[in-house]
Amino acid sequence: MLVNQFLIVAALLFAMGTYGLLVRRNTVMILLSVELMLNAVNINLVAFEAYLRTSEAIGQVFSLFVITIAAAEVGIGLAIVLMIFRNRQSANVDEYNLMKF
Amino acid sequence: MTLNDYLPLLVMMVLALVFVGAAVLISRIFSPKRPTVEKSAPYESGILPETEPAQRFPVKFYMVAMLFVIFDVEIIFLFAWASRFNDLGWYGIGAVAIFTAFVLETLAYVWKRGALDWNVKHRARYMTAADREAA
Amino acid sequence: MTFAQVLTPPSVGWIAIAPEIVLGVGAALILLFDVQYKPKRTHLGLATAAIVATAFAFAIVQYDRVQTLSQATADQAADFVATAFPFDAMIVLDANAVFGRFAMLLVTGLGLAAGWRLFERLGARAAEGLALMLLSATGFMFMASSTHLMMVFLGLEVGSIALYVLAGITRERTESDEAAIKYFLLGSVASAVFIYGVALTYAGSGSMNLLEIQGVLARNIFTRPAVLLIGIALMVVGMGFKVSAAPFHSWAPDVYQGAPGGIVGYMAAAAKIGGFAALIRILFTAFPDFISTWGPLVAGIAALSMLLGSTVALVQDDIRRMLGYSGVAHAGFILTGVVAGGAGTGEVWFYLGVYTVQLVGAFGVVAAVTGAATSGAGIDAFRGLSKRAPFLAATFTVLLLGMAGLPLTSGFVAKFGVFTEAWQAGYEWLVIVAVLASVIAFFFYLRVIVAMYMEEPVDEAVAPPGISVRASLALASLITIVIGIVPGPLLSLAGEASPL
Repeated sequence: MLVNQFLIVAALLFAMGTYGLLVRRNTVMILLSVELMLNAVNINLVAFEAYLRTSEAIGQVFSLFVITIAAAEVGIGLAIVLMIFRNRQSANVDEYNLMKF
Repeated sequence: MTLNDYLPLLVMMVLALVFVGAAVLISRIFSPKRPTVEKSAPYESGILPETEPAQRFPVKFYMVAMLFVIFDVEIIFLFAWASRFNDLGWYGIGAVAIFTAFVLETLAYVWKRGALDWNVKHRARYMTAADREAA
Repeated sequence: MTFAQVLTPPSVGWIAIAPEIVLGVGAALILLFDVQYKPKRTHLGLATAAIVATAFAFAIVQYDRVQTLSQATADQAADFVATAFPFDAMIVLDANAVFGRFAMLLVTGLGLAAGWRLFERLGARAAEGLALMLLSATGFMFMASSTHLMMVFLGLEVGSIALYVLAGITRERTESDEAAIKYFLLGSVASAVFIYGVALTYAGSGSMNLLEIQGVLARNIFTRPAVLLIGIALMVVGMGFKVSAAPFHSWAPDVYQGAPGGIVGYMAAAAKIGGFAALIRILFTAFPDFISTWGPLVAGIAALSMLLGSTVALVQDDIRRMLGYSGVAHAGFILTGVVAGGAGTGEVWFYLGVYTVQLVGAFGVVAAVTGAATSGAGIDAFRGLSKRAPFLAATFTVLLLGMAGLPLTSGFVAKFGVFTEAWQAGYEWLVIVAVLASVIAFFFYLRVIVAMYMEEPVDEAVAPPGISVRASLALASLITIVIGIVPGPLLSLAGEASPL
């Protein structure tokens, strides 16, 4: 089995996530970008698992854990965004500038 | 059913594409176009929008939705266990029992704290004396 | 996929994860008990302290067990493997893990006592704060004791997610919510980068078990070195975020400044212990033969952290921000010990142990002076502190001198240790940079001490700190002085703490 195409898709997805993280201004969109990055890793893990054929299916198990942790992370992230929205009626990262060097 | 039987379908699809394409193309060719900066702005007069408009944020169901997502996803561990149920035996049952106990503990906590109550007016019911003091 | 093969349940070693079980179950019980019986906050605090103490007792039992294991004979080998590597070698019971637990539990106890005022302010959410603190300690302790990259990642996330919430636990303040979102966004990116590295390491070596990776690489049968090297680099970057090493430090000053004062010392110290424990474990257990490859990368990060941290800290007018940048510099000092490889483990642990105690103590003083539930701590609040609160000024002086690495404090022994190791490993230039950075760093610590003792007070009197705050600050200063004069016992304890 060739593994390259999966690696390329995953790398592209990770790069898209990183790009979105850097250019998006809405915090919810940034959260979505982080999700893209985590899912890129999931594709990698499952593809490597199928390629290496290790006995304990650790790649697939790890991807299950990544999915759950991504859900927990996004839950906490949305809660923080909600808290910020209540405090200042905005979810734009440009406005998180109370503390600067 | 041979490949020939699909021919009417193919003709139909080609016709549809041609018709739609022609309609778009003809209107683009014959319609007058004199775009200016003002005309292509979302609002022809007034201040240029710098950010996306503020969207409505229905907060009421947010807590329940978030808890649903988290509990929903936790269940995939049960799937992994179920697929190897016979091999794991009592060890697996014990492990899943511990896991389920923690999930249920969380559910009991959020229930008792009133996070599952959709009616915001009822929230005060779950507040303690210390809460009111802090608020 | 080999699904036809029969899975055998792994061996269970309860004693190897006993402290983590105590903390995790304790956190769950605190939440349930609080929501059902609504106990007094003081009782909740005492219960949390008791949980931490119980976990510490189990860690001592583990230390005893590790001593026994180290004398195991050849015919006890099977028993040794079952005890030292339970759960299919996902967890390891060795001196490294036990020392990590000692440091983590000490920091948790001190942080709880020093930040108690914050939990009192939280009202009914005090139990949530306490439970989150225990859960994050559980996660970071797992980072020290896991020999499997999946467990490292899970520990990292359990610890970090709890810390994100703690950073914003005083919900109504905008500085605090800003600290929480900054910590959360950068932290979750760091996690994503770290697991990308894990996936590539898995591709390059065919395993996620650190011991297996080491075995595979030692037999030289790997075929994808480029993938593996990128994997190692990404994992180092991910951990660099967690320990706030430059250039991945940008969250640290903001979080230290914005998060509630009572918890920020614990947050800073716990993330450092967890990150360095995992870094030691990954680099020294799995990739000891690649030291010529990752050594220069780590050395570069260390040099940049030390220089950037100490120079930028010089111009900060906010004490918490200053401590944040000094934390960046200290991450660099600790990494100076990491470049020495396995030989430097003892010195790295020693440095981590004494520095995190100083950190929790220093932030405890800051919280006592400027408030446990607020953000920021301008230097004006500290002018003339010796006249208004002599005890706080004295403890702060001891802790700052310890951080600066003055002789007769624990910081000096720690710095001397890591510099010696780096010198012997052939990184002379790094040691020169480190000494230079320590000299620069001395000035900003001195500036605070001068402000406390030689300037006239600006603000009015400081509210006298509570008994728990006094006790924890006294303990932290005492540790700093006593270890500085008699470093022998802790040095030998840390010296044993190399990974199996």
